[in-house]
Amino acid sequence: MIAVEGLAKRFGAVEAVRGVTFAAEDGRVTGLLGPNGAGKTTTLRMVSTLLAPSAGSVRVDGLDAAADPLAVRARLGTLSDARGLYARLTARENIAYYGELRGLAREAIDAATARLAALLELGPLLDRPTGGFSQGERMKVAIARALVHDPANVVLDEPTNGLDVMTTRSLREAVRRLREAGKCVLFSSHVMQEVAALCDEIVIVSHGAVAARGTPAAVREAAGCEDLEEAFVRLAGIEREALP
Amino acid sequence: MIARVLAVYLKEVRDALRDRRTALMILVASVITGPLTLVLVAHFVSGLESRATTLKVRIAGASHAPALVNFLQRADVEIEKAPADYEARVRQGTLDAVIVVPEDFHERWLAQDDARVRLVYDDSRTESGPAIRQAERLLEAFNRETAWLRLMARGVSPSVSETVKVDRVNAATPRQKGAVLLFLIPMFALLAPLLGGMTIAIDATAGERERGSLEPLLANPVPTAAFALGKWLAAWTSAAAVAAVTLAGFLVAAVTYAERKVPALQFGAPEYGRFLLLAVPLAAATAGVQMLIATYGRSYREAQTYVSYLATAVSFIPLAVMFTGARDAAWQAAVPALGQLMAMQRVLRGDALAVMDYAVPAAVALAIAAASVAAVARLLRDERIVFGRS
Repeated sequence: MIAVEGLAKRFGAVEAVRGVTFAAEDGRVTGLLGPNGAGKTTTLRMVSTLLAPSAGSVRVDGLDAAADPLAVRARLGTLSDARGLYARLTARENIAYYGELRGLAREAIDAATARLAALLELGPLLDRPTGGFSQGERMKVAIARALVHDPANVVLDEPTNGLDVMTTRSLREAVRRLREAGKCVLFSSHVMQEVAALCDEIVIVSHGAVAARGTPAAVREAAGCEDLEEAFVRLAGIEREALP
Repeated sequence: MIARVLAVYLKEVRDALRDRRTALMILVASVITGPLTLVLVAHFVSGLESRATTLKVRIAGASHAPALVNFLQRADVEIEKAPADYEARVRQGTLDAVIVVPEDFHERWLAQDDARVRLVYDDSRTESGPAIRQAERLLEAFNRETAWLRLMARGVSPSVSETVKVDRVNAATPRQKGAVLLFLIPMFALLAPLLGGMTIAIDATAGERERGSLEPLLANPVPTAAFALGKWLAAWTSAAAVAAVTLAGFLVAAVTYAERKVPALQFGAPEYGRFLLLAVPLAAATAGVQMLIATYGRSYREAQTYVSYLATAVSFIPLAVMFTGARDAAWQAAVPALGQLMAMQRVLRGDALAVMDYAVPAAVALAIAAASVAAVARLLRDERIVFGRS
């Protein structure tokens, strides 16, 4: 359970995030939807405690991120905007390193690697250095690495960005299975179909603020149109910007 | 905390060892260049000594100066006839110095009428120095002897012509002469940790930023101090290992070749051990400072540029000491790199070092390392460092 309230972030004169409030429940997929530069990544960085908010609070399973960032990180699995791997290490070693950093025992790491390899279809790649991996393969390893400790809360920043259709499908499948396992999944995207296909709850972010939130049906209703994409365009205020 | 530090440490060491090309390059550079230089310098120095120790002069027109020849023969000096093209040869460097005697020398000498010889040499080449000085000294001695004999013939005491007698006493022990040659080993002992620590120091900081692996790394529930500590330990290990290997190369070169050529030189197992006692703590400081500097680099290359300034600064220290001829002083122990350098030179001169001579530079180095690690840990919490890519 991730609860964000009145979250704001200022970089000098720029207000990247201005009072974002939403909650991501357990056993549900919550989508943070917005055009590029809307403040999605900044919001997720504050959720994962890497950025300190200028105002507002983040609570993960009731724990305050500002007061106890290490405890919050322990309850989160984060696929951040930057997702570089160690090219000279194998996929297995990349995953194991994060397991060690999270204090898992050798056997627990091995078991988690096997479980995640099945979930993300990584099997044949495990013992190859990641330097030669395709973008989709690297993404899968980065996700596996973030989930090695079987976190209750999963934060994914644009997980399907730049992936081909097959990899995207397999990732969506993985997200559904995380939901079935009762996880709280919070992910961001600027692609409407992505969110429509997966989310139980949508939070539309525009210019650093929440433009609308609710179930896909509620969002459609709020925008007064049947088509979710049309709703997104209207609510995110893209239309006005695009036209001179 | 210790388990996390260890995990970071092992990952960095493993990652660095996987980079075979870099590891090999560093190893070859450190193992080959230093000892090779030592062998070459030893060869050069032993050549100098053999030129200076066998008394030999080259004379053109020896038959015009029977008295001089007689003097030289009495002094056990080997006389060699100079070839006709001696001037060209001196210029080329195949001859060091030639005494040229004109035809009318003997008559003028007997008549005490402005008898002259010419000494032809080229002092722009340092290796000719001993031979030139030798020829000068022999001519002076001949001069003095002639003067004495003439004064005595007139009933004057020879001491009139020599108011001050100079007895030469060379205070340099054979080992101290070797220390001049062995400026080389301390220099490499200071630079080897810089070379050895650089790759990990950069890869673990600027490299993480460039790859985009720093942000996800810091999302782990681990204090940044554990990352800084583990990464620094890995860089220190590498720096110390390269220093140990480099000095081992010198040990082998000294024992198998250089010590035979230059008996004054002594770099055996005890000296090797003492050098490591000085170089390994220094490596802690250089690895820490390199890491701190590299953390500001947004890319590997950028960090490499910053870090190379440190190597330049450190390599300047031995040169400054060499050219200013700095003497040992207590305050030097507190200056990183300089303290180690002066102590290493004392080891090579055969001086005994006290515990404090090792402890003070080591304490300073470890304090610098601790401050650097703390600063890196703080930087890793800085938003500009963590997200300031490109």
